[in-house]
Order: sequence, then structure tokens, then C-alpha cells
Amino acid sequence: MVVTREEVKHLGWLAKLEMSDAELQRYTAQIEEIISYLNMLNTIPLEQVKPIAMKKKFSELRKDAPENFEDAVLGTRYRKDGFVKGPRMV
Amino acid sequence: MPLYTLEAGQVVEGIKNREFSAEEYISQLLGRIEKVEPKVNAFVTLNKEEGLNRARMLDKKIRDGEQSGPLAGVALSIKDNICTKGMKTTCASKMLESYIPAYDATVIKRLMSAGAIIIGKANLDEFAMGSTTEFSRHGPTRNPWDISRVSGGSSGGSAASVAALECTASLGSDTGGSVRCPASFCSVVGLKPTYGLVSRFGLVSYANSLEQIGPVGRTVSDVVSILNVIAGSDENDHTTINSNKPTYSLQERKGFRAGLVMEFTEGADPGVSKMIYNAADTLEKQGCKCEEVSLPSVQYALASYYTIATAEASSNLARYDNIRYGFDMNPEGYEWNSYFAKARSNFGEEAKRRIIVGSYVLSSGYYGKYYLKAHQVRSLLKHEMETLFKRYDVLIGPTMPILPFKIGERIDDPLKMYLVDIDTVVANLTGMPAISVPAGFADGLPVGLQIMADQFAEQTMLDIAYLFEQAAKVQRSPEL
Amino acid sequence: MATTTKIGLEIHCQLTGAKSKLFCRCSSDYRGKAPNANICPICAGLPGTLPLLNQKTVEFAAMITLALGCKFPDDIAFYRKNYFYPDLPKNFQLTQYNAYSITSIGVDGKLEYGNGKDARIRRVQLEEDPGRLVYASGSMDTSVYVLIDYNRAGMPLVEIVTEPDFADPKDVRMFLDKITSIIEHLGVCDTKLEGSVRCDANVSIDGGNKVEIKNISSFADVEKALRYEITRQRTMASREIQVRSETRHWDDARKVTKESRTKEEEQDYRYFPEPDIPMVLLGSEFVSFIRQSMPELPDTRKERFMSKYGLSAHIAQVLIGNKELADFFESTLMIYLSPKEIANWIVTDLMSFVDERQKKEEDKQHLLFAGLKVGPEHIADLARLVDQETINRATAKQILGQIVRTGEMPSALAKKMHASRIDDASVLAQAVQSVFQMEQAAVHDARRNANVANFLLGKVMKITKGTADPKIALEMIQKKLKED
Repeated sequence: MVVTREEVKHLGWLAKLEMSDAELQRYTAQIEEIISYLNMLNTIPLEQVKPIAMKKKFSELRKDAPENFEDAVLGTRYRKDGFVKGPRMV
Repeated sequence: MPLYTLEAGQVVEGIKNREFSAEEYISQLLGRIEKVEPKVNAFVTLNKEEGLNRARMLDKKIRDGEQSGPLAGVALSIKDNICTKGMKTTCASKMLESYIPAYDATVIKRLMSAGAIIIGKANLDEFAMGSTTEFSRHGPTRNPWDISRVSGGSSGGSAASVAALECTASLGSDTGGSVRCPASFCSVVGLKPTYGLVSRFGLVSYANSLEQIGPVGRTVSDVVSILNVIAGSDENDHTTINSNKPTYSLQERKGFRAGLVMEFTEGADPGVSKMIYNAADTLEKQGCKCEEVSLPSVQYALASYYTIATAEASSNLARYDNIRYGFDMNPEGYEWNSYFAKARSNFGEEAKRRIIVGSYVLSSGYYGKYYLKAHQVRSLLKHEMETLFKRYDVLIGPTMPILPFKIGERIDDPLKMYLVDIDTVVANLTGMPAISVPAGFADGLPVGLQIMADQFAEQTMLDIAYLFEQAAKVQRSPEL
Repeated sequence: MATTTKIGLEIHCQLTGAKSKLFCRCSSDYRGKAPNANICPICAGLPGTLPLLNQKTVEFAAMITLALGCKFPDDIAFYRKNYFYPDLPKNFQLTQYNAYSITSIGVDGKLEYGNGKDARIRRVQLEEDPGRLVYASGSMDTSVYVLIDYNRAGMPLVEIVTEPDFADPKDVRMFLDKITSIIEHLGVCDTKLEGSVRCDANVSIDGGNKVEIKNISSFADVEKALRYEITRQRTMASREIQVRSETRHWDDARKVTKESRTKEEEQDYRYFPEPDIPMVLLGSEFVSFIRQSMPELPDTRKERFMSKYGLSAHIAQVLIGNKELADFFESTLMIYLSPKEIANWIVTDLMSFVDERQKKEEDKQHLLFAGLKVGPEHIADLARLVDQETINRATAKQILGQIVRTGEMPSALAKKMHASRIDDASVLAQAVQSVFQMEQAAVHDARRNANVANFLLGKVMKITKGTADPKIALEMIQKKLKED
């Protein structure tokens, strides 16, 4: 087996995705199949191949000039005194 | 002939010369939408009032003798993952069901100032992840040529709305074939530009290093008109190429050399490859030289594509935690981990699957095994392509290896679904431009010819696409 | 019992010298603004936005890199560090990462920080600051929700990571002072702004497990936190309890390090290169551009103070140790060029009026001299009066003691004092006269033995209740001894 149910559960925790037992069951089987397919990458002799990288010059970077963004940015209605309300931290 | 059948150029001329008003044109389109939309389901949001208002303003401008833009009156459907200020942009996801962007994507700004009118936001697979538009919260978009079949994806709404004469043209996004696949399935023209030619600012990211926004139209000429407006560097996107704004034209040019990619024709359904050989014959009759060529690394393309796409997607979709924007779910009282997990469980099946696969390939210790290898494959493929482009102006083959299939046919088999992207992902992995042009029909279903060119060789690619289009004379729109 | 202690540091400094944030055009001056009033689609992580790397921050980070003796790679890249937290708008942090290849702006440096000691610098990197969380009821444990302000999100940070080269918390303190002086001199970070410099530390003893200490909110507390942690680990070792490898938080109120809540599962940051930011080519042209635009560093300034102004190493060190002092010194020289005299007045005398609390950095938000009403023009004036012998040093000190509170110019005050001294002279003459009458025997002795004059002076001082200028009184006594 390439991918275990426990691994998928851990990935769900890392990615903050709540999954029911049935979902976990289904995803494990599907992800097992997908990863087995991706494992093909490990059969290719690639040692000599350098990945392509996009490059930019220092002079092309954004100039340091501040600008105010005038429109409302945040869409949530859960606000207090300008702050955004989030869930509790413990 | 009803106005809604016109090409972009005819619309612009007709309105400018006051043969008909923009308001008449938009009203006719809205009537058409009302009639065919229940069958096609191409739109997520319609922009009726605002669209009519813009049309009236344009008419006034023309009456006042003011200059109108190069796309004045052209009605566009916009894939619903491209941000439109003040107009919902849902990505066909519960996570953004009520999201209204605070800014316009660069392409939207450019199109608007060219006089285009947004008629609505087009359906897609959730966050552009899919090849059928079945993974949409708004239901699947149906293929106008056979509404029991998929429209292709993920820009299914874009291609279907163009084919069904619900708009002049459309904007889609292409990460692994998402413009070309539905263009092929719906028998319209769809173009993926060279990576860096068109700004992605305002395109909701699925896989940043692969995707580009691209036009969909009923003719090569329509696609060119839109590309001319949206192409060019953007200070809001560091990955756009810093060069002068390009302008493309359609020229009668002959004597092209085309490489027919063996791996693509061999892997396709017999009905599809037959049409592609026919297409090659058509091009030869037009004085092109077509030869079979091989692209051996294509066998690794999908593994590379799905590694990179899911890795980037898993990280891109992390921001949807429902705190700053999203659907209505009060955070008070929840422990933060459980709030995030609960809110994020509202992603659809395919998005969740890709998030998990992407998290897997990026896990500690796996980077060198998957992500790095996938990038090396990109390099390998690019090198093979560049070698071929020394001998050929373009590479051709089928856009899709199969014909449009029945809705629901592949939805429960993710890997089988992924495999249909085999011919399109190569252009995304190498950053090279590609276009799908209608090639005819097999068993009454559309087949698309894919033409790929070297980086920034859009002009050559368009010349051949135009040559083929003029020679092949494929039937345009379906009966609905 | 002999123990070896190893301490390593992770220092974060905000590049407050840049005008805009790291990846967007929002102002970097977010302090004091209404919550979420300093944000835009990019730093709020709205869908469809792309990071736009601020050129200035690369320039500043490069200056720090050079100042710490680090090497540049050919090009730099940004990575996504993926983890969820409510203060993180994108739920990943854009940072730099060297595990796959060297892409952070600086690596492998060394900084000498005093007494001939140095520390190796592992890396210098650019990254973004998260937003700020506020607990509705004041504490994390009792609040049913958290309040989030994204104004700080996307502020440019430079992280400086050292090798575990410190053994003594006192050395750490010296090192941090040096870092502070460097970034102040480079003009990249105003260290007086609250939260603009932060430090995490790691400690191990006798080759044991490493403990990370986070949440140390000021450089001043780093030394305390380290002393506490070292004692804790030594106590454990003496009881033969193994120290766990863990992250502890510094409790600012109780001045102890506290165990963090144990995480239910292991975090995995899933680093990968940010696809929206191309690698940035540095190259020799860039490096020489940075070298040219570098402001003077503290060490060079110290050399200059010694060679050009003839200051002692000690005085020069005190001055450059705090950029404010060194700047004050040079501003004063612009008005009146008397380097040694002025340096002495600043280092010895003026410093004695600075509030002890401020010296200890516990009130670092203010300038050192903020509570004093003197500027360079006062010190220049004072030094001139002394140089021209208009007043003597004792009077000058007296004057300084007054003007730091009043802000009056020393020459004006000296003039007033001179006038009042003339009034005082007749009073003093009377006092001397009466002592001479009362102490005739002593006067007799004093004419033969000069030392006895001091006895007479004592008497004069007693009669005048100490208000007389002893120097003038003595002169008057000696004169009278000769006359009679």
C-alpha cells in the first residue's frame, strides 16, 4: 500500500479539512491510485536535468512608493470595532 | 440573420456605423440566453442591467461622435474565476458563494476600456479543477451539440456560451487545457497564450506556474481581437514578460512546416485521430508540409502536471478559511482548528482530493521525489519541444484524445478523468502557446485540432489556425 | 559543576525604513492606525492577488547581509511556508529557504561584537510579518473569539539567524546591542518603534537537547530569559532529568519560560518555491551598487571618531554604541568643533542625567535624550564657554544641571550667574572679615603655614552655610593674609 488511511487523516489535519469516516475511506483509495500513478516520476533518469526557473532583474522589481487602497477589502460581517472576529485560540 | 450570430468584428462595425445599436445587440443576446440557458447552463451570474446600461452609454458615445474602442459593444462571458469588481466571483464554490471582489482583474480593466460589455460570469469546475464542468456548485454545463454530454472543462461555461450564441466571445483560463478542452468539445476556438503574455492579476489561482487566461471565440479572428487587447506586460504581475505590447493580425501565409505528434494521434480514439489525419491533409492541400514527429517525454507529462498542479493548488486554496470573506458562518465559540476544518469541508470533492494529493507530494521528505522531479520533467519536455521547433513551425495533434462523453460517465474515477488531459498539459508545462480549432465531427460530436508553437510565436500559430479554419469550413453553431 | 552552554539567536527586524510593505503598496507606517485601515487586496490575501516584491526591501536586506559579513547567492528566491493560523491571511508565509539550494539573501557571515568575540551568522532572509491577534477578554484562554487586525500583515522583516556561538547571556546582550546599532546606522529599522525588533533564542547545555524560547518581546528581556532557562536546564541536569527538545514561551509578566501546549500532531510546512515571484538575479553589479549606497557602519564610524577627532577607543565605542549619541556628537561638532571636550560632555556628563530606566532599554520607545531639554546647540555653547575659560568646569557642570531641565542657553545662564556673583562678593568679603577677627591665632599661623588657610576656608564655608564659591573664598583669604 502506498498511502495509508492514517496518512490521509494526517494530511487532512495539515490542510484543515474535516472528513467523515466514509470520506476518509473513499479518499484513501482514490489517493492511493493517484499517488501510484505519480510514482512514475521516480522511474525517470533525471539527474542531469536542471529545472527551469523564471528570473527577474533587481531593477524590474516594484518601486517603494506607498499607495492607499480606498475600497473596502474585507467581506465578512463578523466585525468588532474595525477588527475581524476569528474563532477562539484554545 | 439574428444579431447574436455575428462575429466580434461585425458587431463592432455594425454598432459604430449605427446599423444597429449596442442596446439592440445586448437585448437580443439576453433573449437568446433566456431561451437556451435552461438547456446549456453556461452562466453562474448574469449581468443584465449593468450590461444594458453599458450598451446605452456606448450608443450615446457613438451618437455624440466620440471614439469607441476596438471591442465596442462586444459581449463577453467571463469565467467566474476572474475577478470583476462589484460583481460576484464564485469560482463555482461554496467557499466564495457570496464573494464580491474589491478590484478588477487586469484583463477586465483592459477589456472594459476597449469597450467590451460583460454579459455574465461563466460556469466552471470548482476553482477550475476539472475537465468537464461537472464539479460546479451550480450544476454541470451541458454541451450545446448534445446536451446529455459534458461541455469539457474547466472553462465549460465559456466555451458553451460561445457555441450556444449567448455571447460574442469569452475569457477562460487554461491551467492544463481548461480553455482548449471545452473549446474542442464545443467546437469553438480556444487559445492558451505563452506563459507571461497575459496578466494573471485577478485570476483566482489554481496552479500559478502553469496557467494563463485565454480567449474563446467562434472564429480565429475573434480570438485575435481579444488577445490583442489583453496581451502585454502588467506591473501587477511579476511573471508577465517585460516587452512591448504585441499586436497580432491574420495573414494569408503558406508553406508552413507542421509536426504531427505521434504520441497524441496514437493515444486518441480512432474517430478522433481520423479527423486529425484529415486535418493534416487539409493543411497539406494548403501547401503545408506535415510530418509525423515524436515527443517521447509526453508519457511523463501527466504525472508532472498533476504533481505541480495539486501542490500549488493545495497551498493556493489554504486562504479559504472563511475568516475574511466567504459564506456566512459565525466564528464565535469555535476552537480555531475546528472552525477552519469545518468551514473548509465545504470545498467540493475534487478540490478536496487535489488539496490532499498536493499536501502529500509536498510533505517533508517528498519534495525531491515528486515536486522537483515534476519540474525536471518540464525541463525535459521543453527541451524536446524546442528541438522540434527548430525544424517545424508548429506541432499539431488532437486537442482531446476522446469525444465529449456523457455527463456522469467519469465523475467517480478521478484518475481516468485526469488522463483525458494528456494532449493539453504539455503546453502548460512548457509555457508554450497552443490553440484548439474546430476540425469537424466524428459520430456527430466535435473534434478539435490543437496547434502548438514555440514561446511567443503566437503569430505563426494564429496564421496556421486561420489557414486551417478557412480551408476546413467546419459548421459553426448547433441547433438548440 | 562546569557546564558548556550553547545559545543561538533568531532575530527579526522590521524594515521600517521602507515606505511600503514587502509585497504590496500599503504603507509600512501601520502603527496607531484604526484596525484593518492599512490593508489592500494583496496583504489581505484576497483571491486573485499576486505578490509584488518591493525593490527597497531587497536593497535593505542586502545592506544587512554585507554588514554581517555574509555572502550573496547568484539569485534569491521566495518560498511558501504552509501552515494555518488566524493571523496569516493566505495561510502560508512568504519567506526564504535554503534546504534545496541557497536562495536566502545572505549566508555564512561573522560578526565581531566586542571584547574580541564573534558569532557566526548562518543566514539573513527576507520574509513577511503576519497580522496581529487581540484577545477580546485580555487573555487567550478566556476569549470566545479573537480579534484580528491585518494592518501589520505583509510588513517586511529581515530574519538574522546565528550559529549557537554564545555561551554567556551577557555576550548575547552585547551582540544584540551591536545589531541594533548596525540596523540603526543603516537606516533600515527604527528600533525604537514597539515590536520592530524581536528575538527568539535556543539554548542547550552539555550537548543536550535544544530548547527554543519564543515570544521575547524586547531585547532587554533576552538576557533574563536566557539566564532563567540556563538555570532551569542546569537544575534539571543536577537532578539527572533529561531536558526535552521543545519550544517554550517567555512569560513577560512572571519572567519565566513556560512550556507550550503540546501539539496534537507534528507540523509539516511543505515548503516550495513561490511561483508568482521569479528568482531575482543579484550579480556583481548589484553588489557594487549596494556597497556604494551603504551608509557608514558603526565600526567604521568608531575608527573615524578615533582617527579624525582623537577620541579614545572607549569614548568612541560609547558614542557609536547608540546611533543617537553618535549623531548628537556629530551635530554638536557642526556648531562648534571641539571634539574631545564635546565627547566628554556627552558621554560623562549628559549621560548622567538620562533616566536610569531609559538606559536599561525598558522604555525604548523614546529617544535617550527625550526627557532632557538640551540639544547639540547647548552642548556646543557650553564647550565654547569652557574652552574660552569664561567659566570653569565646576560652574559648567552646575549650568548643565540646570539647563537640562530649563532648556536655557548656557551662555545666558553664565551671564546671570556672573552678575549674581558680583553681589555675592561683598557678602563673602564680610564673612572673611569676621572669620579673620574670630580666628586671630589661626590667621597668625596661616601666614607661616599655607595649609592653615584651608582651616580658615572651612570656617568661611560654615558661616556662609556652604553658599560661597570655595575657590573665590580661598583666593580672598590668601589675598587678605598677604595684605595684613
